[in-house]
Amino acid sequence: MNDEVPVTVTVNGRTRQSRVEPRRLLVDFLRHDLGLTGTHIGCEQGVCGACTVLLDGRTARSCLHFAVAVDGSEIRTVEDLASLDELHPIQEMFHRKHALQCGFCTPGFLLTTVELLERTAEPDEAAIREALMNNVCRCTGYANIVDAVAEAAVELRRRNPA
Amino acid sequence: MKPAPFSFVAPESLEEVVRALAEHGDDARILAGGQSLVPLMNLRLARPEVLVSINRCHELDYIRLVDDRLVVGALVRQIDAETSLLVRAECPLLATALPHVGLPATRNRGTVCGSLAHCDPLAELPAVALALDAELVLTSAAGERRVPADAFFITEMTTCIEPGEVVAAVALARQDPSERSALHEVSNGGHAFPVGGVALRWASADGVCTMARIAAFGVGSVAQRLVDAEEALVGSDLGPAAVAAAVAAARAEVNPTGDIHADADYRRHLVGVLLERGLLEGESP
Amino acid sequence: MSSDTQGAVGQSVLRREDDYLLRGQGRFVDDLPTPLNTLHLAFVLSPYAHARISEIDASEALALDGVVDVLTGADLAAMVKPIAAQIELPGYSFNTRDVLAADEVRFAGEAVAVVVAESQYLAEDGAELVQVDYEPLPVVTDIAEATDPDAPQVNPTVPGNVYFEGRFATEGVAAGFEAAAHVIAEDFHSNRVTAVPIEPRGCLAVPEQPANLVFYSSTQIHHLLRTALAEFLDVAESTLRVVVPDVGGGFGIKAALYPEEFVCAALALRLRRPVKWIQDRYGALLTDVHARDNHYRVEAAIDDDGIVLALRAEIRTNGGAYSALPFGCTLETTGGARMIVGPYRITEYEYTATAVATHTAPVLAYRGVAQPVCFMAIEGIMDRIARRLELDPAEVRLRNMVPTAELPWTNIVGVRYDTGSFVESLEMAMEMANYDEFRATQAQGRLVDGKYRGIGICSFTEVSGTGAPGWRARGLTRLPGFDSGTVKVEPTGKVTAFVSHAHSGQGHFTTFAQVVADALGARLEDVTVVEGDTAAGPYGTNTFASRSAVTGGGALIRASEKARLKLARIAAFMLESTPEDIVVADGRMHVAGVPSRGLSFQEVAETAYAMNTSDLPEGESFGIEETDFYDPPLVTMANATHIAQVAVDAGDGTVDIEGYTVVHDCGRVINPMIVDGQVMGGVAQGVGEALMEEFVYDEDGQVRTATLIDYLLPSSVDVPNFQIAHIESPSIDTVGGFKGVGEGGLIGAVPALVNAVADALSDLDVNVNTKPLRPALLSRLIREAGG
Repeated sequence: MNDEVPVTVTVNGRTRQSRVEPRRLLVDFLRHDLGLTGTHIGCEQGVCGACTVLLDGRTARSCLHFAVAVDGSEIRTVEDLASLDELHPIQEMFHRKHALQCGFCTPGFLLTTVELLERTAEPDEAAIREALMNNVCRCTGYANIVDAVAEAAVELRRRNPA
Repeated sequence: MKPAPFSFVAPESLEEVVRALAEHGDDARILAGGQSLVPLMNLRLARPEVLVSINRCHELDYIRLVDDRLVVGALVRQIDAETSLLVRAECPLLATALPHVGLPATRNRGTVCGSLAHCDPLAELPAVALALDAELVLTSAAGERRVPADAFFITEMTTCIEPGEVVAAVALARQDPSERSALHEVSNGGHAFPVGGVALRWASADGVCTMARIAAFGVGSVAQRLVDAEEALVGSDLGPAAVAAAVAAARAEVNPTGDIHADADYRRHLVGVLLERGLLEGESP
Repeated sequence: MSSDTQGAVGQSVLRREDDYLLRGQGRFVDDLPTPLNTLHLAFVLSPYAHARISEIDASEALALDGVVDVLTGADLAAMVKPIAAQIELPGYSFNTRDVLAADEVRFAGEAVAVVVAESQYLAEDGAELVQVDYEPLPVVTDIAEATDPDAPQVNPTVPGNVYFEGRFATEGVAAGFEAAAHVIAEDFHSNRVTAVPIEPRGCLAVPEQPANLVFYSSTQIHHLLRTALAEFLDVAESTLRVVVPDVGGGFGIKAALYPEEFVCAALALRLRRPVKWIQDRYGALLTDVHARDNHYRVEAAIDDDGIVLALRAEIRTNGGAYSALPFGCTLETTGGARMIVGPYRITEYEYTATAVATHTAPVLAYRGVAQPVCFMAIEGIMDRIARRLELDPAEVRLRNMVPTAELPWTNIVGVRYDTGSFVESLEMAMEMANYDEFRATQAQGRLVDGKYRGIGICSFTEVSGTGAPGWRARGLTRLPGFDSGTVKVEPTGKVTAFVSHAHSGQGHFTTFAQVVADALGARLEDVTVVEGDTAAGPYGTNTFASRSAVTGGGALIRASEKARLKLARIAAFMLESTPEDIVVADGRMHVAGVPSRGLSFQEVAETAYAMNTSDLPEGESFGIEETDFYDPPLVTMANATHIAQVAVDAGDGTVDIEGYTVVHDCGRVINPMIVDGQVMGGVAQGVGEALMEEFVYDEDGQVRTATLIDYLLPSSVDVPNFQIAHIESPSIDTVGGFKGVGEGGLIGAVPALVNAVADALSDLDVNVNTKPLRPALLSRLIREAGG
């Protein structure tokens, strides 16, 4: 049962082939096999959301998936958001609105926000708070995150008018 | 914590799935969305020898009308059912319920059928299945059988699924356009599982209630249809006296237990509060 | 010499930390690159709360491919001395803990063995295979039952399960109660909670030369950890280096010294390989220190005007199974007893404060330490006075508060309030919360649309920046109090500031740079802050109890001033002026009144480092690198008022927070944006503690909340929006005028929310004296009252 099996996934636009034990969690595969340590482990119980990634375009708990079970999928992690020169508008608004403190949960919140703003260009506060239930933050009290998401929505609409 | 070792197979058809189940028997577990199973595996509270993933069985990813039923295949993710226009039109109770299930990220991956098969007493969907007169389609190497929801759910984390069987689909009653439906629940916090909830749908004609389906969750070892409360409503004018009678009946017919999240008396009380709220605030499709 | 730099202090400077954290480039301990030969640990945790260990059989685990070793309590005892908190209080029962339980386990989750393996997965496989035979023993977990005569003994050196009992009384307490028109008495029950930083704990020990061991840890107290490792492992402190990488929240629970750290370091030294341990959430909930399992009995003697004539408090805190390091099991006990008097003029006071031992996880610091509970008690008493005398709760507080005009004022236990704004913060918060309007509406009936509406106040003092005398007063003689700063002007004129703190989200790289920029006269962008490394900068007490602004800020100001003097002396020499005439500003120095006669930091630094042709003044040493230490006063006292507005659903008992106002006074504010962030984050934890969080042991001492599915944390839909305002009453007792702000949000929120709910239900004549206020509890109170 410890035999390794092949897995091929596209991570941040790059095809990655590897061999893993079937039980290897996607989050460990990303962090320790691919070196993408921006995705964090907070509970492995599916609650906290620190391990959130985009799996085929939707937020998913990478601690609740086996790498082998997402063979063939497309994965996007926090490392894919910024360019070398510029933060993604969502990241920029998190910075301006002081929407992070320790930063441990932040990658998960960013990917939740990417998904929200792809689904809803103009979310109201209730919709933002509902979406942010995906993740737990123990530092900020959420209010600044809510503000940052709202501002990011405005900025993204400005950049990509409907 | 990390899961114990297991073998993994990912068949590409239902036929291959049931063949794999037949081969591995009791040692195998189905992996659909995994949002209930994998936390247990990470805690090593579940340790299947073989995981049979149905994630490649695209034939199970469908929502379609078959006669008087809306059939949801085993690979339909909760988010896809939630946003499905067909679900909204035919089973608005399910569409109403789904935003309450888990969290956005777990709904993205978790399946409708997987939640039913998991049979968590705190989960919304088993109650919804009861209220929608669901039939579970169970497939094995021996063929297919259809089990009504009230026979399917047995007790906490226990259904009538036999070794070798997989839930291939759930078939739900199509709601009449005149029906109203609601789901209300209370939890101790935004992320928390509910401590109690009620799913219901009902219809009336000329001021008289013609049909009612009420199911509660979180107030016993398994989701429960509240038949006495239904009886109190059917034939009534749905006025305050009828509602009060239904509330009293509901409280009388549940048998909740207390735990660290809420005591039994509260859960009994809550069933009535939420039923009344549902009847007053229920939305038309 | 003077500085006229445009102040960086006081500005909402955006954080330098953000860019790399937002890119996913944070380096938390589990993110650090590890050598390929790194070993991983998994601990075998006791399923029993109290049991004798009769036998441990590790043969199956050792047979597993990839398992390197399995060690038990006896093995570790040869490598690590029993660890113990040093508390010098009369009557304190000294007790020690084996880093792995050798003979007896005393709480569920206590480690009895450790598996060393080639991967984390394999270590956990091994841990499952270790067979431990336990002989279960009787258990006591309840704070009241712990001292029953027939209660099982938790710890052999803690007779009767009493760790400590402290008493204090002023002479006139009895007279105060005799003279009282009324006596208001209440029991307040606070439940056990724990901090749950989203990053669990972890450490990585890497043997290296010339230092023997580099120890990376998610700790808040790197210097104290290093000293403790040296002491209990019996190795030279100078051969250890403790490094704190990014830390994903601490909130006090990472300011404890834990067995796993000693085990990890000991094994790396013994096996001569890197050893890594990353905690999982299950282990975190079971073994992180807990807090707040307290009972307060408070009696207030009052006159007809609601003035408190005398106060009695009987405080009992659950210390758990061992007195945890470094603060010990009396932290909450002495803390609550000393802090309960708050902003009020309490002139006669008596307390009995007891710490008891139970078969539960050790209790230590969690944000607010004792204060959320002691203010739930005293602020609950203020509300009860108001209800008894039919006065407004705000009015009762105003009548009892120490007015600003009377500051500085020394309270009954000897703590000096140098400056503050007790009355002003309450009045401003009432204004912002439309308090009077709320009360007027409420007078028409609290139950509207099926919800009872209430408003709750908490006015409080917030202990911060405690110096050595403050710790000594609580028996913590081995806890220093000071922190240190080193300010180095590099040859290029850029500035590196080392400070003896370690961040876990507070934004130190930004705020300390603001402090140094102003104190040195440097440009903000030229200052880089380095911290969290025992090899970089001198010793300090580190980061907990709202210390960093006060102690780190003070030390850096002092070091900056020394460096600025040196810059001025060298500049004066080069400019043929006198140091007194040199103006330092914006990274340059010039002769007063002659801006054209100036030099950049770099030009002066090149002289200091002998990198140009200028000579140094006679007697001046090379380099510009100045260090200083700062020990703050006994206690630096901040203050605040919180006002919460809630709606309690009459049907289902759920609570909605409909308004939340904070007026906070932490003296001179370094960065308002960051201060607001601290307040909001604290309030969110207070919302959790008041309304949902509860750590539960059953009567057998089994943990019922071992996952985040059962231990509930507040989410984005549970925490309200805030109105926050600041009053700045700079401290006159601290260098820099700063007071701490880390804990106030949580301290104020618990009492404000409890009082708001109590106010909402006050027409029903129910008693709200406990938490968490979950729907089931509130619904029961409402139903029992016929509401």
